[in-house]
Amino acid sequence: MTIVAQVRRLSATAGHAVLVDNVSFDVYAGQVTALVGASGSGKTTSALALLGECGNGVQLTGEVVVGDTTVVDSNGVTAAAAAVRGRVVAYMPQHPGSALNPARRVGATLKELERLHHPGESVAQEAIRAAQLPGDRDTLRRFPHEFSGGQRQRVALAQALTCRPEVLVLDEPSTGLDSVTRLQLANELKDLAGQGFGILLLSHDLDLVRELASHIVVLNAGRVIGDVLPLSIDPPKPGPSTPGKPLLQATKLSASVRPRGRTPILYDVDLTVRSGASVGVVGRSGSGKTTLARCLAGLHERSTGNLLLDGAPLPVLRKRTREQNRRVQYVWQEVRGSFDERRAVDQQVARTAQRLRGLAAEQARAEAVATLARLGVSAMTAARPPSRLSGGELQRAALARAVLAEPDVLICDEITTALDDDGTALVVDLLNELKARGTALVWIGHDLGLVASVTDHVLVLDAGRVVEEGPSARVMTEPRHELTQRLVRAARLGREPEPPPKLPTPPFDTADPRSEPRR
Amino acid sequence: MRSYAAGRAALAVVQLAVLSVLVFALTSLLPGDAADLRFTETLSPEQVERLREQLGLDQPAAERFGHWFGQVLTGDLGTSLISGGPVVDIVRDSVGATLVLTIATLAIVVPLAVALGILMGTRENGRLDRTITSITLALSAIPDFVIAVVLVAVFSLKLGWLPATWIGGDLLTSPVLLVLPVAVLLGRTVCLLSRQVRAGTINTLNADYITQARRLGVPRRRLLFRHVLPNAAVPGVQELARTGDTLLGGVLVVEAIFAIPGFATALVDAVETRDLPVVQALTLVLAVAALLLNLLADLTCNRLVPRSALLK
Repeated sequence: MTIVAQVRRLSATAGHAVLVDNVSFDVYAGQVTALVGASGSGKTTSALALLGECGNGVQLTGEVVVGDTTVVDSNGVTAAAAAVRGRVVAYMPQHPGSALNPARRVGATLKELERLHHPGESVAQEAIRAAQLPGDRDTLRRFPHEFSGGQRQRVALAQALTCRPEVLVLDEPSTGLDSVTRLQLANELKDLAGQGFGILLLSHDLDLVRELASHIVVLNAGRVIGDVLPLSIDPPKPGPSTPGKPLLQATKLSASVRPRGRTPILYDVDLTVRSGASVGVVGRSGSGKTTLARCLAGLHERSTGNLLLDGAPLPVLRKRTREQNRRVQYVWQEVRGSFDERRAVDQQVARTAQRLRGLAAEQARAEAVATLARLGVSAMTAARPPSRLSGGELQRAALARAVLAEPDVLICDEITTALDDDGTALVVDLLNELKARGTALVWIGHDLGLVASVTDHVLVLDAGRVVEEGPSARVMTEPRHELTQRLVRAARLGREPEPPPKLPTPPFDTADPRSEPRR
Repeated sequence: MRSYAAGRAALAVVQLAVLSVLVFALTSLLPGDAADLRFTETLSPEQVERLREQLGLDQPAAERFGHWFGQVLTGDLGTSLISGGPVVDIVRDSVGATLVLTIATLAIVVPLAVALGILMGTRENGRLDRTITSITLALSAIPDFVIAVVLVAVFSLKLGWLPATWIGGDLLTSPVLLVLPVAVLLGRTVCLLSRQVRAGTINTLNADYITQARRLGVPRRRLLFRHVLPNAAVPGVQELARTGDTLLGGVLVVEAIFAIPGFATALVDAVETRDLPVVQALTLVLAVAALLLNLLADLTCNRLVPRSALLK
C-alpha cells in the first residue's frame, strides 16, 4: 500500500479556539480513507490542510506530506504548498456544480489545467471519459449553465481528474442526491479508487462510508475519537397503528407548473390517510413528491382534483380557516428560510401554539422547550437565533413547530435529510407517539428503506405518477415496478446484503453529535 | 447565444419605435412654438396664424408625427425653423466636437478605471484601496465647474500652458484643446466606473468557482485575468454604457466653460428658440445613441458571462 498523503499531529487554531487538535491519518493509493463526523467536527479543515490551505487567521501546525512535498510543518504552511494544488491534491467541494466559472467554456478550463499540470499529454480527454461526459467538440464549447445539475458535477469532477492528482478529496459528495443516484456515485467512486487515485472521503453519510472506505477516521470537535464507525442502529419501526376513519382524502390530484394545466408535474394521484396511520411517498428527486405535499398543504394552487378533510372540502391554504390551518400541518425540506433570522428559535416554535391553539405565551414556551428537548435540541441551543443552529437542529425545530399545533394531519417532507441515525430515531419516536394519539402522518422521502420502515402504506412516485403502492412491508420484499426495485437495491447501500440483519437495538445516546452550532 | 442577440436586437427595434413617439410627444409639449417666438413683436395675430399654417404647425399632432417619422426614416431630419437650413447640418456640426471629447475621455477612463478597480478589489479595505477610494470619491464630489475653473485658472491663466477655450482653435491642428475638458470629465467617470469594477472584482473573488480554480492550481495572474476579470467586468460594462450616454449628451457645463460647439450647446439653443425640428432631431440622435450603447453593453456582457442573460 503506497501512502500518498500523510497527516501527523495536525492542529488548527484561530486565536484561542482550537478547530483541529492533534489529528493524524494517511491516504493510500487506490483506497478510500474516510473522515467521518458531524458538521463542525473539523473534517473540511483537516482535508484542506492537504492543500496547505487554511482560513484567514487560522494557524496550522503539525506535519502534512503529500506526494514528496511537505505542505505543513511546525511553522505552518510551507512555500512548497502552492505547487501541490491540483497536481498532487485535487479537492471537490460540497456542491461542485457551483464551482464552475459561468464565464468560461468547459473545454477552455480543462485545456488550461492540462497545460498547467501535464503539458503535452492528453489528460483532459481521459478525464472527460472517466467522468462519463461526452467529449465531443460541441460539449466542450458549452458554458456551465448549459449543463444540467448532474452534468455540472461531472464537469467539476473532470476538472479535478484532469490534474491527475494522487489524492482526490471529496467533500460530502452524497449531499442532496436521491438514493438511486447515490448508489451510482458509490460505484463510480469505487471505479476511481480502482484506477489508483487515493481518495479522501469526507462524509456524515455512514452508509456510504461503510460501503467504500478501507480506512476510517472518526472526528468529533476537532479530535480523532476512533477508527470504527458507530454501530448502525436498527431501522426505526413504524410503531403500532390503529387506523381509524379516513382523515385526509385526495382524489385525482393533478398539478402543473404553469397556469391552466400547462407543464403538468403531477397526474391523478389518489391518497388516503386514516387517523392513527401513516402513508409514505417515495420517489427520486423531481418525481413530484414535494409537489404532492404542497398540494395537500394547500400551497400549490395550480392543481385540480378533490381534497377532503374529515369529509369536508379542504380549500387552498389562503382560504383555510384557522382551525383548518391547525389541523393540517406541513414540515418541509428547506427549513432555514422558514425561520425569522432575528428571533430566537424557541419563540418561533412556541408561536404556533399561541396562534393556532390560543395558548398563553408562558405555557406555549414551556411546551416548545419540552418538545424540542424530546427531539434532542437543548433549551440553550433553542434560545439562539436560527443562524446559530445546525441544519439538523433547525429541521427538528421545524418539526416541533408543526407538532405544537397539535395537528390531525402532519405532512413531513424529507425531514431527516440532515439528521444522523440518532436524530432520526428521536424524530420517529415522537411521530409514533403522535400516531398513537390519532394523528395521520404523510411521510415523504427518497430513501425507501427508511420510509417503508416507518409507515404502513407506501406510494412510489415516478414522473408525477403513482407507479406502485401497497403495504410497506410488501413493497420492500416484493417490489413490482422497476423503479421500486432500484429503490430497494439503493436502500441496501452500505448495509449487509439482504435481508437486513436484525440486531438488538443498542441503547442509543441522546447526546446528539450534530448539535454543535454551525460556526 | 445567437438567439439572445437576435431577441435583444428585436427588443431594441421596439424600443426605438416607442422612443421616437416619446421624443415627438415630449418636444411637442414645449410651450409656444417657433411662429409665436419669432414674430410676435412685428406681426399681427392673423399673420402669425398664416405663418403657422405655412410651417405646418396647425396640423393635428398625429399627422405631424406621421409626416416627421416618415421623413426621419428616409434620413431627412427636416428644415430648421430658425436658420432655414437642413437640420442634418446642425446635427453634424454639433456632434463632431462631442464625439471627439467622448472618445478621448473613454480612451483614458476605461483602462484607468479597470486598473484602479482591480487594484482596489484585490486589496479590499487595504491602505491602497482606501486611498484610491478617497481620492476618486473626492474628485467626483467636486462639481465640474469648480474643477474646470481651477484648471483654467492654473494651467491657462497662470502657467499659460494650455488654451482656455476652443474659440478660434481647431482640433485637427491643436489637439491640446482636449486636455482640459477631458481632465474635467475624468473625475466623476473614473470614480463611478472604478467603483463598479472594484465591486465586481470583490464579488467574483469570493465566488466558489474562483476558490475552486485556485485549489486546482491556477496561478494568481492567470486567475485574475482569465477567471476573475470577465465576471468582474460585467457591472463595469453596464456602467460604461451609462457613462457613454452622459458624455454623448454633452456635458453642458464643460461645453459652456470651454466654449465647445457641442451637442448640449446646440440642444439648449434649439430649445430656447423653439426650433422644434432641431430639438427633435438632436433628442432622437441622442436617444438612438443611448439605445445602441446599451444594446452593445448587453451583448458584451452576454459574451463575457453567457449566464447573465438568463438572469434577466
